[in-house]
Amino acid sequence: MSAYPPVKTVAEFLDQPAEYQDAVRKIVRSHALNELYGAQVFDEPAIGLAPTPYAKWLTCRVAMEEYHHHVRFRELADQIGVKPEDMDTRNKRPLNIFEFPMKTWEEFCVIKMLGDLAEILQVEDLLHCSFVPLRNIARTTMPEEKFHAQFGADFCVDLVENPESRVRVQDAINRFYPEAPKFFGASGSKNNELYRKCGLKLRKNEEMRDDYIGRARDIVGKLELKLPEIAVAA
Amino acid sequence: MSAAVPAAWFSTLGEPLGEAEAADIAGYLAGLKLAAAPTRAVASWREAGEIVRAPAGRWWDAEEAERARLERIARLDPADREWLALTDALHGAAAVAATRGGCADQGLIRAAAGAATYAVHQYRLVRAAGGGDEHPFVRKYALFAGGHWPLGVYGDRFAIF
Repeated sequence: MSAYPPVKTVAEFLDQPAEYQDAVRKIVRSHALNELYGAQVFDEPAIGLAPTPYAKWLTCRVAMEEYHHHVRFRELADQIGVKPEDMDTRNKRPLNIFEFPMKTWEEFCVIKMLGDLAEILQVEDLLHCSFVPLRNIARTTMPEEKFHAQFGADFCVDLVENPESRVRVQDAINRFYPEAPKFFGASGSKNNELYRKCGLKLRKNEEMRDDYIGRARDIVGKLELKLPEIAVAA
Repeated sequence: MSAAVPAAWFSTLGEPLGEAEAADIAGYLAGLKLAAAPTRAVASWREAGEIVRAPAGRWWDAEEAERARLERIARLDPADREWLALTDALHGAAAVAATRGGCADQGLIRAAAGAATYAVHQYRLVRAAGGGDEHPFVRKYALFAGGHWPLGVYGDRFAIF
């Protein structure tokens, strides 16, 4: 982490250089939108796909937690001056992983297992960031993000015991995973360089992506399944 | 809607049912056009967890059909701040009750919170759509607000904790 001094309040934030403010706004907006997209296109529809009341109600709770993450980031976005139109999902194309056409419970469990893992890595980098209000949101949401990823992994453990659903889980991995590393952005990113200079992120995009691929491989390996081979773009 | 949770949520789990609860169960099942079912009184979190991990498609589908009908009349914002605060409070109430009942299963606690959340959402939909006190979702809400966790219809029995 850079030696950028802690920015403890929104008032202090407004005294920071423009490039710092812009960097924070980009990160906060990105998280607010990602949490909202995730809840809308995956978590809430998955209630209808879940096979039992237990799974449905648990998914309902997870959806509420994701919506709450969105609201926390959105409230901070409002406080730091992100324009309302920049927070409107109609004006901002979602990241590619949110365009995955989820239609089955197996797909949802894989999305939680591998998609929320990607979110965990993003939030991990914010746990010590220089903007304290953002750091605090990251620390508040992290336990729930970990639960959501574990939720996906636990259900996948159950699913792979059945030969037919095992095939469906592997198929969902094969189709969802190739887009997931793109969640971390391009190698050599100028934005990422600025984030690190401002003490907002710890690692380069390519470092986070490599870490993600390794962790995803471990998780999928425990299921005795495989990640598909992908070409990671520079 | 206030974010405050009425004190009774999850507070009478496993306690005997009274006449009012029996009437709400009968009204709930009839309202969903489900046949009257004998009641299975559930005594513990462990038993509740075993029951809700079984499929219950016919009952769930009946609820979902009614929810879909209501949502054609009224829509609610799932990201409303007060609503989210209420759902967190319901999670807290479920966690406290589970601790008292010797349950440390985080998944089951969240499922209980999710069940209560779903029930409140259904209740709010009824009210937003102009429904009255006899609506089955209002009956179910009354069972939750009275401290029980209605688990649904499994086989030919209505289970309630």
